[in-house]
Amino acid sequence: MKTSVKDWVKSGTPWIWLNAGAVAICMIMVVSLIGLIGARGLAHFWPADVIQATYTEKDNSRKVIGEIVQIEQVSATQLRDAGIEVASGIESLERKLIKTGNRDIGGIDFNWVLERNLSEKSTPAMLFTAERYEWGNLYGYLRALKQQDTVIAAHTGFEPSSEYTELWVLLNKSMARAIELKAHILDIEKDDIGSINYELERLRLKQRRMEIDGDNDIQELAQIERSTARLKEDYRKLEDRLISLYGEINRDSIDVEVSTGAIISVPVANLVRIFRANNMDTLQKVQHYFEKIWEFVAEEPREANTEGGIFPAIFGTVMMVILMSIMVTPFGVVAAVYLSEYAKQGFMTRLIRIAVNNLAGVPSIVYGVFGLGFFVYVLGGSIDQLFYPEALPSPTFGTGGLLWASITLALLTVPVVIVATEEGLSRIPSSIKEGSLALGATKAETLFKIILPMTSPAMMTGVILAIARAAGEVAPLMLVGVVKLAPTLPLNMNYPYLHLDQKIMHLGFHIYDVGFQSPNVEAARPLVYATAFLLILVIALLNLSAVAIRNKLREKYKALEV
Amino acid sequence: MSHVKKATVDLSSIIKNQQSLKFADEQIMLNTRDLKVFYGDKEALHGVTMDIPKNRVTAFIGPSGCGKSTLLRCFNRMNDLVDSCSIGGEIILDDKNIYGKDVEVAELRRRVGMVFQKPNPFPKSIYENVAYGLRIQGVKKKRLIDETVEWALKSAALWDEVKDRLHESALGLSGGQQQRLVIARTIAVKPEVLLLDEPASALDPISTLKIEELIHELKKDFTIIIVTHNMQQAARVSDYTAFMYMGDLIEFGVTDTLFTNPEHKQTEDYITGRFG
Repeated sequence: MKTSVKDWVKSGTPWIWLNAGAVAICMIMVVSLIGLIGARGLAHFWPADVIQATYTEKDNSRKVIGEIVQIEQVSATQLRDAGIEVASGIESLERKLIKTGNRDIGGIDFNWVLERNLSEKSTPAMLFTAERYEWGNLYGYLRALKQQDTVIAAHTGFEPSSEYTELWVLLNKSMARAIELKAHILDIEKDDIGSINYELERLRLKQRRMEIDGDNDIQELAQIERSTARLKEDYRKLEDRLISLYGEINRDSIDVEVSTGAIISVPVANLVRIFRANNMDTLQKVQHYFEKIWEFVAEEPREANTEGGIFPAIFGTVMMVILMSIMVTPFGVVAAVYLSEYAKQGFMTRLIRIAVNNLAGVPSIVYGVFGLGFFVYVLGGSIDQLFYPEALPSPTFGTGGLLWASITLALLTVPVVIVATEEGLSRIPSSIKEGSLALGATKAETLFKIILPMTSPAMMTGVILAIARAAGEVAPLMLVGVVKLAPTLPLNMNYPYLHLDQKIMHLGFHIYDVGFQSPNVEAARPLVYATAFLLILVIALLNLSAVAIRNKLREKYKALEV
Repeated sequence: MSHVKKATVDLSSIIKNQQSLKFADEQIMLNTRDLKVFYGDKEALHGVTMDIPKNRVTAFIGPSGCGKSTLLRCFNRMNDLVDSCSIGGEIILDDKNIYGKDVEVAELRRRVGMVFQKPNPFPKSIYENVAYGLRIQGVKKKRLIDETVEWALKSAALWDEVKDRLHESALGLSGGQQQRLVIARTIAVKPEVLLLDEPASALDPISTLKIEELIHELKKDFTIIIVTHNMQQAARVSDYTAFMYMGDLIEFGVTDTLFTNPEHKQTEDYITGRFG
């Protein structure tokens, strides 16, 4: 027996098992991490059944309508401590978290209830859910559609009828109209008025600039006056148009009977989406699910980031990472080329290499502090003094923004690029270099025509590592330009199109903000998972595209046998 | 035993390093004057003086570490790439010392091309490999480049094998083809001197034979200096042979004479395989 164990150890089998086990554990951890985040986040968008039940507590009973969000077991002791009577011998009780919505009525939209207090549970097909722009979801029975204050369609009772069908059709029409009007209003507010404001601000700054410079060009000033007046006139026209549009959009409203029996009136303009979850078939649910996911990915956040989408955060993250890559790559490559090709190897280069390697280990918040102290205050402050004195005291570049966030991240990741590039340079066989030099090429020509192209896959490796590190950073960004809400994208139609001074949203910070700073914890929690999942996806996508580029380059400059 | 040998060499080197050829009919392409090479403090070449005849093949032979490659690399200043390397003496090309102050190294290397022991094609297409030197010189005309590439590949006896796949990667060629490609690449810039550093040592016998035939063809247009470990090869391809030992030029003369009737005992010992 003893010898057989010895033989077994000698054969190397346990070593193989150990290795394979380590790999398996890594795989399990990665898969379960992504699985957990994905499942928790993505399940949120599935339309759950809406239940109706009677809730009884100490002779009081009332009707509850809502979605079951979570079910858990609570120990009896805990309940007794909270003053709830639990018969002895019962170890634990089931309780449910119900999303009851209707925040405008009850003040809260999530309730924990004990399962034993619920009775007469049902899922009536007529139950109606309205997602609203304000106040969250509304659950109840659709009763009437009103134009101004006249009822144009109505329904009573709890059974489907022809009146209900008519009401539903009219409501859908009314909503389509409201959505169209809303799009129109948004166009005017965001694009037209947005650019007018932008122009007005530019004119104001121009005027202020002339004042500062002591420039009294009468013609120029008159020109500014004229333009301002014209813009203000345009603005007034648009404002009138808006007022009439607002009047029109608020024409229709619906009446909904909620769980308490009260009738609530909601303007149609406030509706995002209406549906009867209990009445949907699987196909409709799937459609609803993808609509919700699309909304999450493509739209702006609402309700303190607990509803709507996260598009500005995705855009900000990607934009920042791309800008970071554009800045870090040339910088890191040039530094690496000097270090390994031109600098005389010796004590100094060794020292610099050690310093560069250690820079990669500096905690990122330190870079954030440096970014704030140096880039934002010193550099940004000077830029403002020199180029934007007319806007002072309100800062242009003297405050956090896209540019500073990107540069701070570039600084954070430059060691990675330097190290990867140097490694790539050292892998080029010296025979290739000599071959080029022997043909009469200068060192610079050899570098640009032979060595750098051959090193490009290694550079891309550096960029990939840099992206992986930068896209996940949050701490330094909080100091240099990432904010909770910045729905205006840094890339738009107003000259100069890319607004480097603008503050941005970021997925990582969004997770922190939604998860820890949200006024509505229960509503926010699934979004934390969903956003985290999306962040992973975005980083994976950015990385994969860089990997694809690298593989292409590798194919092109297939390494020689050394 | 080695002590004894070393002593003999040192004695003889006083005279032997001063080989001047008395080939009256030959034009001289290059000459070295008391050329010394140091790696740090170590003297690797103890002052070599020799003439290299034009449009002839000159072979350097000798045991490993005798300094023949070091000497070869002096002719196009490849030793400059070694940090610790310093050079004494002169190499004269066209009445000018190539180690002079006003010499442009890149221009010198264009005139004195070099082919290395292992094939080192660039990771580019066959065409671009050959065109590389021309592009470096700023040649833009496509027709001129096309013609030169064809001429160089034909001169390197590679044209027939690659003419249908000029734009495929050079790394797909066999070792022998790669080496001929490198030779084509080198002659495409029309150098005056061709330095070959054991060009066939990494190749199979058939490829070696092709390279040797090629050398024979090329000497019409170029002055060729070849370093080789293989004495048969030196005997086959070269017109003149220099035997080097421990950093000294021991004997330099017409190949046939050197191999059949060497003047020095060391040369005889080496070529008959008694040491080295």
